[in-house]
Amino acid sequence: MLALLFLLPFVLIYVLYTIWPMIKGIEMTFYKWTLIKKMSYVGWDNYNKMFHDREVWEAIWHSTLFVILTTPTMVVLAIVLALIANRKSRLRKLYRTVFFIPSVLSVAVASFLGLFIFQPYMGFVNTFLHLIRILPENSEIFWLTEVGLSWIAVSAITLWWTVGFNFILYLSAMQEIPDEIVEAARLDGANNWNVFWNVTLPHLSPITKTITMLQIIASFKVFLQIYIITGGGPLDKTRPIIQLIYQTGFRENDLGYAATMSYVVFVILLVLSAIQYWLNNRKEARA
Amino acid sequence: MKWIYRIISLIAAIFFLAPIVWMLIVSIKQEGMKIVTLVDWFTPPYSFAVYDEILSTTKLMNWTFNSFFVAACVTILTVAVAAMASFAISKIPFRYRTAMFFFVLAGLLIPGEAVIIPLYQVAKDMSILNSYQGLILPALASPVAVIVLKSFFDGVPNELVESVQIDGAGVWRIFWSIMLPLTRPALASMAILTFIGSWNNFLWPFLSVTDDNLFTLPMGIPTLMNQYSEDYVKPMVINTLSSLPILLLFIVFERQIVKGISLTGIKG
Repeated sequence: MLALLFLLPFVLIYVLYTIWPMIKGIEMTFYKWTLIKKMSYVGWDNYNKMFHDREVWEAIWHSTLFVILTTPTMVVLAIVLALIANRKSRLRKLYRTVFFIPSVLSVAVASFLGLFIFQPYMGFVNTFLHLIRILPENSEIFWLTEVGLSWIAVSAITLWWTVGFNFILYLSAMQEIPDEIVEAARLDGANNWNVFWNVTLPHLSPITKTITMLQIIASFKVFLQIYIITGGGPLDKTRPIIQLIYQTGFRENDLGYAATMSYVVFVILLVLSAIQYWLNNRKEARA
Repeated sequence: MKWIYRIISLIAAIFFLAPIVWMLIVSIKQEGMKIVTLVDWFTPPYSFAVYDEILSTTKLMNWTFNSFFVAACVTILTVAVAAMASFAISKIPFRYRTAMFFFVLAGLLIPGEAVIIPLYQVAKDMSILNSYQGLILPALASPVAVIVLKSFFDGVPNELVESVQIDGAGVWRIFWSIMLPLTRPALASMAILTFIGSWNNFLWPFLSVTDDNLFTLPMGIPTLMNQYSEDYVKPMVINTLSSLPILLLFIVFERQIVKGISLTGIKG
């Protein structure tokens, strides 16, 4: 009885705003459902339409591509930054602050910074490339209007903006490595590179698994950075699935179809989270 | 060799700081400046005129308040609700305890983005679109917070709880004056991470609010930016103004934030 009292607020909110929408969503996929009201029952039409809808699969591919672009780079960058901030140096604290600070910015601020930094002619990146003479005076790189380049720009901004959290996780994992192990390795004649490769890296492997899975899930859900920086363009070639769901529901006034697409995202993320949970638990079982 | 490390480290630090410094500097440049080389971005004349203009003609301060208000409510309530639930699961024996735990655990697998369309419909049915309740309530049930806090409550020995019980303390007393103080670092970490999460939350406010008096910063900024796409100064003033509060908070709480991430990040 008492337990119930303590659980009640959580369970109430959880059921109302997570479990119930999930069930409601299944109903919505079987209807033509607009922003105003429920229209007509359409059976499996939304599903049939979706499986033959090129836009949907392209958008899922774009989200996947973003995962492929940002996950390995995120892990490597986070490890490199943690190595820098873990070195004995007077600037150690400063490094920690500087690498983390972009993470507290709002996603909108980070995205608009990206948008202006990567502008041609006056943008920060192009004027910098002019200054160090990598880019000749009279030529410009159009970061935001060429598909390949805009992926680079969006990924770079995302890495800069979010690497801080992973960097801190790696830094604290590195600080947990006992000094004796490192010293012992050095007595055996190991150099910096040996220590990193044979002591540090193996120690980081459990946290790397967690970070990798969480990053895959986070990257798959990308929306605002791309929406602000490229608008999903050029020609929808960078539009991620969450943006397509939003546009279908709120611009094309088709919540039923949008809900159907969300269930694809749901299944994909469910599988990813299950893998993540399984990896985590296996780790604990071993420990 | 040592110098190579140092130079690489410094370059990395400059790269990370440059966009923020650039944002701050551009925000005090004069409108209509001529930029030919990189150096022109950083040279005077400076002016705060645009700050006055943005502050007096836009709702930016209003939105900053909304962001803070919503994030503060979400943080306090999320942690309170999660602490109570995880305390029950961890320390009060009851019949469906294991089932309850798995019910919450299942929530970890449900991504918010995937239920956002039906959530919109549910919120509409409850008539909480376009309201603070609508911004706050759906964010309060965090399975992650329950699971993480439960693992910390589990760390408090049962013998301690039992001995206090023998002394005649009720369940509420145990929760309030034993469990909460003992797990304060975990609660603080959870609070900080929840605050940053809410501060950055975009998709739900974007869908559920259309009244610009209720905008939070992440959705107000894009609306405002659309009006000023020709020049750099106004956008950077908007960026700076909306970042200053959180940057100040970060500088004050840096230690706790960093500790919080390593404490709960690994557990979660």
